[in-house]
Amino acid sequence: MTPTPTLAVTVMRAPRRPRAGLTFAIALGVLAAMTLAAIFAPFLAPYNPDAVDFAAVNAGPSSAHWLGTDGLGRDTLSRLIYGARTALLGPLLVVVASTVLGILLGLLAGWRGGWVDAALGRVFDVLFAFPSLLIAIMAVALFGKGLAAPVIAMSIAYAPFVARLTRSLIAAERSRPYVAAYRVQGFGGAWIALRRVLPNVTPIVGAQSTLNFGYVLAELAALSFLGLGVQPPTADWGAMINESQAGLLGGHFLPAIVPAVAVVVVVVAVNIIGEELSDRIGGGSRS
Amino acid sequence: MTAPHSVLGTAGTGSPAASASTGLLDVRDLTLDLADGTRLLHGITLRVAAGETVGLVGESGSGKSLTARTVLGLLPARAVTTGDVELDGTGVLTASAQELRRLRRRTAAMIFQDPRAGINPMRTIGDHLTEALRLAEGWSADAARARAVELLEAVRLPRPEDHLRQYPHEFSGGMLQRVMIAGALTTSPKLLVCDEPTTALDVTTQAEIIGVLAEQRASRGMGMLFITHDLNLAASLCDRVYVMSGGHVVEQGQARVVLRDPKAEYTRRLVAATPMLAGVAPGALASAADGGHISGVIVRHAGQQHPFTGASSSISETVRAVGTDAGGSAVSAPPMLEAAGVSKTYHRRGKEPVRAVVAASVAVPRGGAVGVVGESGSGKSTLARMIVGLESADSGDIRIDGRERTAVPRSRRERLAHARSVQMVFQDPYLSLDPRITAGRAIEDALRLHGAGGGGRRRGAADARARVLDLLDQVGLGEKHAAARPRTLSGGQRQRVAIARALAVEPDVLVMDEATSALDVSVQAQVLDLVDSIRRERGLTVLFISHDLAVVRRVCDETVVMRRGEIVERGRTAGLLADPQHEYTRLLIDSVPKPGWDAEAAAVELEAADLDAGGADRSADADDVVADDADDAESAAVEAASAAASGQAR
Repeated sequence: MTPTPTLAVTVMRAPRRPRAGLTFAIALGVLAAMTLAAIFAPFLAPYNPDAVDFAAVNAGPSSAHWLGTDGLGRDTLSRLIYGARTALLGPLLVVVASTVLGILLGLLAGWRGGWVDAALGRVFDVLFAFPSLLIAIMAVALFGKGLAAPVIAMSIAYAPFVARLTRSLIAAERSRPYVAAYRVQGFGGAWIALRRVLPNVTPIVGAQSTLNFGYVLAELAALSFLGLGVQPPTADWGAMINESQAGLLGGHFLPAIVPAVAVVVVVVAVNIIGEELSDRIGGGSRS
Repeated sequence: MTAPHSVLGTAGTGSPAASASTGLLDVRDLTLDLADGTRLLHGITLRVAAGETVGLVGESGSGKSLTARTVLGLLPARAVTTGDVELDGTGVLTASAQELRRLRRRTAAMIFQDPRAGINPMRTIGDHLTEALRLAEGWSADAARARAVELLEAVRLPRPEDHLRQYPHEFSGGMLQRVMIAGALTTSPKLLVCDEPTTALDVTTQAEIIGVLAEQRASRGMGMLFITHDLNLAASLCDRVYVMSGGHVVEQGQARVVLRDPKAEYTRRLVAATPMLAGVAPGALASAADGGHISGVIVRHAGQQHPFTGASSSISETVRAVGTDAGGSAVSAPPMLEAAGVSKTYHRRGKEPVRAVVAASVAVPRGGAVGVVGESGSGKSTLARMIVGLESADSGDIRIDGRERTAVPRSRRERLAHARSVQMVFQDPYLSLDPRITAGRAIEDALRLHGAGGGGRRRGAADARARVLDLLDQVGLGEKHAAARPRTLSGGQRQRVAIARALAVEPDVLVMDEATSALDVSVQAQVLDLVDSIRRERGLTVLFISHDLAVVRRVCDETVVMRRGEIVERGRTAGLLADPQHEYTRLLIDSVPKPGWDAEAAAVELEAADLDAGGADRSADADDVVADDADDAESAAVEAASAAASGQAR
């Protein structure tokens, strides 16, 4: 007796394929290039990123230094390439850890419902109340500078976003007839939740999580800019902007602008990919 | 897209001569191609004269809605059309946006299937009804309001003044559909296009809505293009019908002629597949007799309506007393499924508790089929969910093959035992199959669970494969379907998979909860045939839950009628339909649309019967509407409560 979509309705809605293909391809290309650069940094970088050359301090672009040098005469391009390693590794770790943690908590809350759901919901509320950057700074204060403490702190800060989404998806899925069908067949709750319902929601959650990558990247860069993240002399985009502040006053913009642009480009690329993935998965898996 | 209520009015400037010669709506050789070149309509030609009711009949995907939408210029994006659609003398396909708007305002209006989807939930009913008049016609607020009240009276809503201030969520589906009709009538269109306006409604509500439509049609002299998949409904309402299949009109003519004496092969099949209330019931009796199973009378005679209260032994006694007519050994056999005095009440926070099932007793003999009939919110689905162990009963006792199956199973051993006692086929095969799991895998999962556990022996992978193919074969599917995901299967195929999956467990009892109501009639007929043959071959015991009396008649030896959680009548299906004792059963039977020519004959009999019964007829006066809509609201509450409960069940 439930109204089912007729041919007319499906057809009216169907033909809409925005020209997202090209943008998506470019975004994927940018991310792929960055990833390859990070992995093969030693082969690609023209110089040692830490090699100091006082003969060419704050030099402009030239055939020797394509993107110029910084205030210590280090090659900006080489530092940019090596910087991609921490720039991508940090957010990757955070996204993976927060997704795993968030899915587990969300599954628990959404499937069990009742007081478990209520208790976890309040915990998430508390975590939401703190900006993730603040949590990261507290972690650095407690556990010292470097990449590890901020990554752990951010993983915890981002987990509630994932958990909240997972919880609502699981709660909706739980009342679907196919879950009741599994029960009638005699399957246990844990089996249904982990083996059947969870795989049905992970693509959606996963696609949403990739969107977090961009935010985390920007925040980790901010942390290094503040001097609380990756420590010098390790090349890192945030740290590079920080170090080139002195040069800015002298009119040498390039060493600051190059890593800033890199941050923006990667964040935009990742967001385009994440949104396109959620669109495709969200639209496709529901029949 | 136009708002569904947008009212389409007269093409006042159209030349009267042209419209007189061509009729109100004239569609000639209409074809429609999507942007990707798929042709959906192949040369449709149809006419509606002023004041005439024309039915457009077909199954899902036949293009009937698409055709009807074209009349109002509602085309899919970037669709290419050829041919002519002339509405009151104006060509719709070539009309400018302005002309189209005028046509939609004054000449034609449309009513859709789901009234809830077509109304803005944030605005009041009054806003909905008056905005077209105020904004498009420039009426003053007072005049528009007076008109709205008038219209609400016309569609027989009980308190028009109050309704104007109410919001859509306060209305039941039937009431909301009345509002949509009122909205469509605001500027007195010449043509009303109705796209399955009653498909989402209960049969008694459907009868009321159809009554309102017929009345408005008569008093306004409107033409009507009525789209439906229900042949009986088309026959009861329409002067002429067009039968569509795969984007073609396969047959057309006087409704009476086409449906009684179909010429086209497709129409013949459609008519044959449509379950009827009258005539020979092909399924039920034949199958029981063929299989040599017990076709025993299980429950008390129809005259004794009071439900059993608790004592399960009384049912057994009844069964023994009434006995069976198939084989002496069966006489003493207890029923396969026995529910005695089962009750369920949902407690909602801050609201009245809802009594979904009240002391219901049902017994199904071994190999028998019993139908449970009722409208939405009657508690029939809740009863099914309690039997299969999805919900716990507050009181009462459920036994299957003599074993206690009342409680919701907790441990693994209980779960498996309960599953082997009873399996269920759900209403909507689009939702009851896991979208990610292939058909073969779904069946294999069930086999493995039960093979490895209670069976005591571990099935080998090859063995399981063979069983899967065997089961698919039994439900008429092949090896290629094993690897298919539900999305790529049709509705009928999905329901077959669901049945195969249930059979994989080899249950004692199969509960079918509205298992065919989401399917087209021809597919429904195939699935019902399948159920028949499975019953014959396996001696499966079936509890068949449905809102459709005709379908129940085809499948079940015995039928139980439920209303608001109570069983109001029970008996052999044929007897119950021929001679209903309870007034609600009578109402249900009367509400089923019957072809006009049958109704004429029946009306004579009814009149005679009414005289005997002291004129207890059900003229749809305002009081009736109030009462029925109150029922509607209550039904909705039960549905909501059980939905919430199923959400909580883990």
